[in-house]
Amino acid sequence: MTGALAQSAPVIPDFGGGSDSCVRRNETFCWDWFSSHWGSTFQPALLQHIALTAIAVGVGLAIALAAALVAYRRVWLERPFTLLSALLYTIPSLALFQLLVPITGLTRLTAEIALVSYTLLILFRNIVTGLREVPDEVREAARGMGLTPLQMLWRVELPIAVPAIVAGLRIATVTVISLATVAAIVGVNEGLGVPILNAIPTTFNTEFIAAAVLTIGLALVADGLLLAAQRILTPWARRA
Amino acid sequence: MDKRPEGGHDMRIGPMRAAAVALCALALSLGVAACGGGGDDNGGGASTTGAAADQPGKGKPTVVMGSKNFTEQFILGELYKQALEARGFTVELKSNIGASEVVDRALTSGKIDMYPEYTGVILSELAHQTSRPRDADAAYAAAKRFEESRGFTLLDKTPFFDTDALATKPDFAARNGLEQVGDLGKLSSVKLGAPPEFRTRFQGIVGLRKEYGLDNIDFTPLAIGLQYKALDSGRVDVANVFTTDGQLQGGRYTVLADPKNVFGFQNVAPVVSRKVLAEQGPAFAETLNAVSAKLTTEAMRRMNAAVDLDKQDPKAVASRFLSANGLK
Repeated sequence: MTGALAQSAPVIPDFGGGSDSCVRRNETFCWDWFSSHWGSTFQPALLQHIALTAIAVGVGLAIALAAALVAYRRVWLERPFTLLSALLYTIPSLALFQLLVPITGLTRLTAEIALVSYTLLILFRNIVTGLREVPDEVREAARGMGLTPLQMLWRVELPIAVPAIVAGLRIATVTVISLATVAAIVGVNEGLGVPILNAIPTTFNTEFIAAAVLTIGLALVADGLLLAAQRILTPWARRA
Repeated sequence: MDKRPEGGHDMRIGPMRAAAVALCALALSLGVAACGGGGDDNGGGASTTGAAADQPGKGKPTVVMGSKNFTEQFILGELYKQALEARGFTVELKSNIGASEVVDRALTSGKIDMYPEYTGVILSELAHQTSRPRDADAAYAAAKRFEESRGFTLLDKTPFFDTDALATKPDFAARNGLEQVGDLGKLSSVKLGAPPEFRTRFQGIVGLRKEYGLDNIDFTPLAIGLQYKALDSGRVDVANVFTTDGQLQGGRYTVLADPKNVFGFQNVAPVVSRKVLAEQGPAFAETLNAVSAKLTTEAMRRMNAAVDLDKQDPKAVASRFLSANGLK
């Protein structure tokens, strides 16, 4: 019945590698393996990680900024906003990802909801603090020049709050970059968490180190870029 | 009035959370078995090169193929998929779905049309049969009968089988004259390493004692993946392995024969919906059977080694094997 089995033996091609390769010996870092998997594994993972982070911080900033502006005018709202964002912040990330999976599935949306919720407390607190730190004399002077409340916000209060806001953005961004690796554990197949997760059970050093170093590097670069953006946005601060 | 000179921008929370996350990730990963993950989907239409104008699958509806959650299955899924695509069939591969029970649910609920499965697993885990088949053909026939009773069928089985086995270092085998499992009875005591469940399974200590009369086993529980390290370091004399493990290739270990078939029969055969089979025409089964026929134990070990030990992409490994054998 299984006449096919009697057919000729298979040709087994040379798959490369071999018992003495860097990968087999699991050396600390195998450059050849890394460079041959850059295009198929690491570059897409890095780009996904950047996208995950940018969306989370962008959406988080929009929500936090809106909430902070409201709380700045209506002081009694600050407490409930702070409590709510603090509550979101304290939910363990693994639990939050797992809780969302039945609702939003194993999608990027699941990861983003969780990541955004972790940016809110940091961003909200920093924006409110920054706005409140605007000196009263400055506000008086602006009013004296006849600026409307909207003009005052846009041209005086927000610019003065920029250092505080950027400080919040820097913390939020670095936090999200490290948190986004957790998304892979709950099955959202995106970002640098995927190669890290793959490498843990196989103890394959190269994959683990490459993904970890890329994550750290991304955090440093993002932090540097935000700092540079702040310098550009607040030229007056450089003279001080 | 309500002015609070807070100053600090919550600097402390960031790094602490990051550290906690790293710890959680590590802790969880130890418990998470299903983390293979290597299966990217949609390989693009890159495989329409070979087989010239022979495209019997052109215009047929898409077939959804699944695979289970470990390396050998990722490779099998790619082998069958790429061979079918080379002949014009349209295949969507859902790799790494889960364990047999999960994939079987996907199959019976119609989410997938086919997947590669092991004959012994069909009998024990899906059909819940307790009688032990006589040989590989009997196991295949019984598994096929079971699948046909539910609207599916099995295509030809592979020459390779992937069962549990006992392996030892060649010098230990030579020193003690070990060729088959029963020879272990000659020793006064055998240090045997295996996952904890091996102790209570028939396909484990229970069967070894009953069929081979081995009551000299000194059991050492080992996590999966550590068997070969334990053999190399001399922590154990004999370890529980899988017959197609990449590590077994190249003669660095000796697999003891199992003439009483305690470890059963685990050849692979594609489980396919009979409706889909009829829909796709005879070339569909022919293509899959031609792939299966080439999958010997040595071929499977070499491909598992390329993916598990040399960290190559299952897609690329499958593609090279098919090309070398004129199947793509």
